[in-house]
Amino acid sequence: MLWLSVVVDNACTGIWEAWGSGARPTSLRVNPQVYDAVAAARPGEVARDHPLMLLGLPLIADSGVATYEPIVS
Amino acid sequence: MLTTEENEALCRVGRGTPMGRVLRRYWTPAFQAADLPEADCAPIRVTVLGESFVAFRDSSGRLGFLDELCCHRGASLVLGRVEEGGIRCLYHGWKYAADGTIVETPNLASSTFRERVRHGAYPVREAGGLGWVYLGPPGTEPPFPAFSWTDAAAGELAISEMIMDCNWMQVQEGSIDSSHVAILHLDTLATMGAGPRRVGSLDFPGEPWDLDMPTPGTRRAPAAVWPSDDNAPRIEVENTPFGFHYAAIRDVTGEPGRKFVRVTAFAMPYTAFIGGVSDGAVIVVPRDDYTCSSIGVFKVPRGSGGSAVARRASGIDPAVWGPEPANRRFRVPAQDREAMAAGKSFAGFRGGNRIQDAAVQLSEGRLYDRAKEHLVPADLAIIRMRRLFADSIRLVEAGGDPLGLGDGCDFSQIRAASQIIDAGQPWQDLVPANRGVGEPARQA
Repeated sequence: MLWLSVVVDNACTGIWEAWGSGARPTSLRVNPQVYDAVAAARPGEVARDHPLMLLGLPLIADSGVATYEPIVS
Repeated sequence: MLTTEENEALCRVGRGTPMGRVLRRYWTPAFQAADLPEADCAPIRVTVLGESFVAFRDSSGRLGFLDELCCHRGASLVLGRVEEGGIRCLYHGWKYAADGTIVETPNLASSTFRERVRHGAYPVREAGGLGWVYLGPPGTEPPFPAFSWTDAAAGELAISEMIMDCNWMQVQEGSIDSSHVAILHLDTLATMGAGPRRVGSLDFPGEPWDLDMPTPGTRRAPAAVWPSDDNAPRIEVENTPFGFHYAAIRDVTGEPGRKFVRVTAFAMPYTAFIGGVSDGAVIVVPRDDYTCSSIGVFKVPRGSGGSAVARRASGIDPAVWGPEPANRRFRVPAQDREAMAAGKSFAGFRGGNRIQDAAVQLSEGRLYDRAKEHLVPADLAIIRMRRLFADSIRLVEAGGDPLGLGDGCDFSQIRAASQIIDAGQPWQDLVPANRGVGEPARQA
């Protein structure tokens, strides 16, 4: 089973760390498996062609990102 | 957000479910000790983690916690007679001791059966006005979490239980969520004298409206009630031996160089120590997948009158819930839309924080589907709690122990805090023992 709670915790911690260092992150890069899971949970946003958002940041699918290690960028 | 599958894994608590297996590895506060006031009193039915049990106090005052249904033909032992050191089923007279020993089977003369079969019985102990049970595999009990209030005498504790018809995670998440406090609870802050407040573009006058609301302490200067207009606190979280603690950090209005810190500690898996709530805790226990109990436990000064203090501290409103067993179930009160429209009330619910909290938590439905939510970084404490539960599920499924059993931690030293400090001071200074300093509180 995919544990989004782990992905979200790591991403959220990364956002706070970025803010703490004065950065202003603009996107969240995640493994495609994570992206697909979010897309499956948000059919309305996908149908309206809205960008998928997580923790207030647009999601970007990136096959170079490990499943449980999202990158705040 | 969670996938629907993960949401189910985290929320459902029955035996054999992922979270059910995790929760059974902790001591669980299952009932109020006052509901079994004396030896040989009437037994009570206790539903916890999706299973039903009978709790009773035998002739010597010892607590028993057994599977509810008689192992002969399944009649409820809650109907039974508590007599001479055990509980007797009404149906055919089978009698059980507090440890599950079958001591009499009137319709079966052979003693071989009684020697070989034992009724389901679970470790149970009384502490802090509550009956705590261990429902996990025999021999795996962790150290008992001896919190600062669990050895208090009955007259020094105020206990209030609110039964809510929704999944426990909705209530647990609310109990550790700091960023709603200065919004949902504006009416409470107004009654305490906090004065005008702003929520987004809304200017709330902050005149006291719910004058009968029980509030802690007396009217104070506005700055002492809630010294910040910052509705987007910075959140910092640290894992601890008992779970985690976190700080919600806000700017202090008119005092650059200072910060308003509320530290909340969460002791896995049920207990939150909330900043600003003195020497007590809020415990959320699943009764089943769609019902839970929110139990407030607060130490009160000796001789100050436990029940009266309990009403003040917990906002008990007999119109929607009450301390009596038959009146503990919360009913959402009418919302005063006129007072809201007139700017007199923000939330429209009389009765204080627990009423306001319960109303919004129940409004999420019986079991909220978190696939639909949009979390924000201010939700980090909720996110971390889910993470610890998810990690615990994986650990237990791999044959290990869940997180937060408290090795290296003196549970009695767990603290919350609510204080203004210098901006450069670490908030951890306010709760030094939370990181696990001290010997573990191990009890037999």
